[in-house]
Amino acid sequence: MNFPRPLAVIAALALGISLLAPAGAVAKPTITMSGSTSVAPLASLLARKYLQACGHCVNFKLLQGGSDIGVADAAAGRVTIGNSSRDPKPSDPGGLVFTKIARDAVCIITNNANPIPTIDQAGVQAIFGGSVRTWSSVPGAGQRGTIDISVRTPGSGTQDAFQRIFMGTTKVFGGASQKTSNGLIQQVVKSDPAAIGYVSLFFTQGVHAVPYKGVPCTLRNAKSGQYGGSRNFYMVTRGAPKGAAKAWISWITHSAAAATVIGTDWVPLH
Amino acid sequence: MTAGGADAGQADRTDRRVELALGALSAAVLLLIAFMIVFVFSKAWPSFSHNGLAWFGPGGNVDEQLTNIFNSPADPSKYVYTLHAWPLLYATALITGVSVLLATAISLLSAMFIVEFAPAWIARILQPVVRLLAAVPSVIYGLIALLVLVPFVGNHVISDAEKESVQFVIQLDGTSVLVGVLVLTVMITPIMVAIVTDALRSVPRGWTEGAAALGVNRFRALRTVGLRAARPAIVAAAVLATARALGEAIMLSMVSGSLGFAPNPLDGVTFFFEPARTLAATIVDHADELSVKPSGQTIYAFAAVLLISSAFLSFAGWAARRSMRKYTLQAR
Repeated sequence: MNFPRPLAVIAALALGISLLAPAGAVAKPTITMSGSTSVAPLASLLARKYLQACGHCVNFKLLQGGSDIGVADAAAGRVTIGNSSRDPKPSDPGGLVFTKIARDAVCIITNNANPIPTIDQAGVQAIFGGSVRTWSSVPGAGQRGTIDISVRTPGSGTQDAFQRIFMGTTKVFGGASQKTSNGLIQQVVKSDPAAIGYVSLFFTQGVHAVPYKGVPCTLRNAKSGQYGGSRNFYMVTRGAPKGAAKAWISWITHSAAAATVIGTDWVPLH
Repeated sequence: MTAGGADAGQADRTDRRVELALGALSAAVLLLIAFMIVFVFSKAWPSFSHNGLAWFGPGGNVDEQLTNIFNSPADPSKYVYTLHAWPLLYATALITGVSVLLATAISLLSAMFIVEFAPAWIARILQPVVRLLAAVPSVIYGLIALLVLVPFVGNHVISDAEKESVQFVIQLDGTSVLVGVLVLTVMITPIMVAIVTDALRSVPRGWTEGAAALGVNRFRALRTVGLRAARPAIVAAAVLATARALGEAIMLSMVSGSLGFAPNPLDGVTFFFEPARTLAATIVDHADELSVKPSGQTIYAFAAVLLISSAFLSFAGWAARRSMRKYTLQAR
């Protein structure tokens, strides 16, 4: 044998891997998803139900990272489906199809020790805009001292929805702490009595969801349309969904079983 | 040498084959590094060329600038690139520098303890524990700090008066330079202890015993002879620790404030409670913006600066070790 042994081993390994990979993929299609941390819990529940319904006909792989990662990954073909909790933007790459799958409420949250009875849009803008900095000047606050604001990074769909629905043209306070996920904001608000933040309705356990304009941030109020802070969830594909992804998305948008899953914590479309 | 010439020839050929294979592998690594540097810089170039040297300077709110870059219009000719990254560079230097200094002091003292003063059974327990600590993934430190240390500092250490004194600029919620430096020090100290311990052990026994025979006590002998002989290893340990501290992203993104702010030493004690975000943490926090072209190029610019600083770091470590060669046994 005049072939260097280490190289032969590496070559054999590479050959083995390349033979194995397509064999697995042919047997069962894999749907990969990435993106919004708000959509992730819903996508994972839906995927579990779908696997039961179709007899484990596909493999799912769910990653997170924020809506913009989902959109970028879908556009670049790194994933089958990108999850987005924000509406399409003019700066998004061309050729993407946004399929609306559900609606979701964005809740303003405070620590349980500081249950604010209600807040209106001007109040949200004053606090998050940084013009009111102490809890003593917020009506109904059970807390004194400086307000600790947690917001999301610019790439987040929740940030986009919050800016559009609650803040309008008011800029968020420059000293606010920027967090990368819903869960992180929930954790910070849970452990800091002076904190305020905003999350998707699913992440309101263990914190106080502040009623907006007198309407509690609950699933029922979001479904009835009374709660003002609702936004859309999308699944994003490059071109119209094809194959296994098409079957899965149309199952989400049309089947009663999917609507039941969505109805546990989100607003079904019909 | 009783084996025949054929066997020796066979062995030579095997050696040459191994040499070739290993050489090819290391050449591949070099090629990979070169490719990485070229790739990162070509991606980062627009961000540097639009800002010039002002990229490295102070000016405005860096988070607002990042948001504006992210919200650039779709038209490539109208992309926004304006960025003054000084707060991020300053935070990187501050947090890395302070933690490496702390870690160096702590690790020298504890390595001296393990090598010279600890009873044998304590040293036997300490050494594997230190190695284990060095291998703990940083995200675990980050989680513990976020759940325990940050709320403690925010709710009990920082006074209301301190919070109010800066409330229209920033918020002191516990995520701070202090927590970042503390946790980073805990993270990098074990590596340094492990390296310095090994180095002190390899100092010939006779050297320190000679010093002891001249009448100095054990601590002084170790300090003046052992530490001096181990200096190249200490520098190597510090370089390794600095590299780890520079690259630490997840933990710092969780505990040091997620805010591009330059802490002001003139604020007194409050300085340590102020938030700061390092370059690596900024890359993690804004990784979800890569899809927007100018944002992606800006993030690659951060990566380029980190690459350059770690290259400088290894070079500085090499130069320092070289200048110390004459004092030591090992000419590494």
